[in-house]
Amino acid sequence: MVFYFNVANWSAWADGLETQADWQQWQAGEKQLADELNLPALKSVPPMQRRRLSPFAKVTLHCALEAAGDDASHVPSVFASRHGDLHKTTALIEAVAKKEDLSPTQFGLSVHNALAGLFSIFTQNTAPISAVAAGESTFIAGLVDSLVKMQINQYAKILYVYSDLKVPTCYQNYVAENEKNIAIALLLEASPMEQAQFSLAQTKLSQSEHTLELNGPQAFSFIQFLCSNQPALIQAIQQQTWVFNRANG
Amino acid sequence: MNDLIAEVKQLIIDALELEDIEPQDIDADAPLFNDGLGLDSIDALELGVAIKKAYNIKLEGNSEESKKHFYSVTTLCEFIQANRN
Repeated sequence: MVFYFNVANWSAWADGLETQADWQQWQAGEKQLADELNLPALKSVPPMQRRRLSPFAKVTLHCALEAAGDDASHVPSVFASRHGDLHKTTALIEAVAKKEDLSPTQFGLSVHNALAGLFSIFTQNTAPISAVAAGESTFIAGLVDSLVKMQINQYAKILYVYSDLKVPTCYQNYVAENEKNIAIALLLEASPMEQAQFSLAQTKLSQSEHTLELNGPQAFSFIQFLCSNQPALIQAIQQQTWVFNRANG
Repeated sequence: MNDLIAEVKQLIIDALELEDIEPQDIDADAPLFNDGLGLDSIDALELGVAIKKAYNIKLEGNSEESKKHFYSVTTLCEFIQANRN
């Protein structure tokens, strides 16, 4: 099965890379990742609601709202994250260990689908939303899930949002060293084959090709693909291999 | 009592992360919830935890009695003064 789609709009936020222009420069090798993550102002969220947002929530919602644009109030969506708001969860676990009372606000916003809930509250969007966590392959698993959901339900568009921040120090020995701060939102649009910018299909690769193509965090590889003229991007979800192809201009 | 009022205002600002609000912006006699400061039910729970931590006083989140104590900074301070130590 092949999925055909367009990327109608997108937004991504990482250390020092905050706009599409930043990412274009990054892709061209003219700009590098900075050492620190800035936080978006998120002016569209009322201050009384904004005060509860963690850095993780701020970068994710910024990208989601920016990519969704006028579709924010009704587009179905998929939110994906490997770790979720792990800084918040860790603070809660530390409070439990010290036998302190837990903050109800922190607790309420620490669940894996908290961001999907916040997005739905801010935008008054009642369309179907799901939350995905799939280990190291989370970015691609969520993207495949979004495209499948759009096709099966015959949605015109779907919003895909992925975010992960570097894990707290106490977990750093358990993850790959090259983990980075990243939030990305893609407004995906269903398209007939002839007019599609991109296609996605499952593929089979030999083991050597497989390892060759799979270095670096998936979301960054995808942005590289999106911003360049690269003809194809190959990514894995455990034993599955998926290939994105760019339509010939 | 005035010292306690100032202290509780700061406690509210810190516990509820009211970024853009200064203690003098809070009217001690205005309602904390809905119309006044605009706090919501999650804030009530959060404030209950903060007061327990600071003064070792337990406020039940959703009883009618608590609602009276939570009405304003002044009512909250009266309750704290009557029950601390």
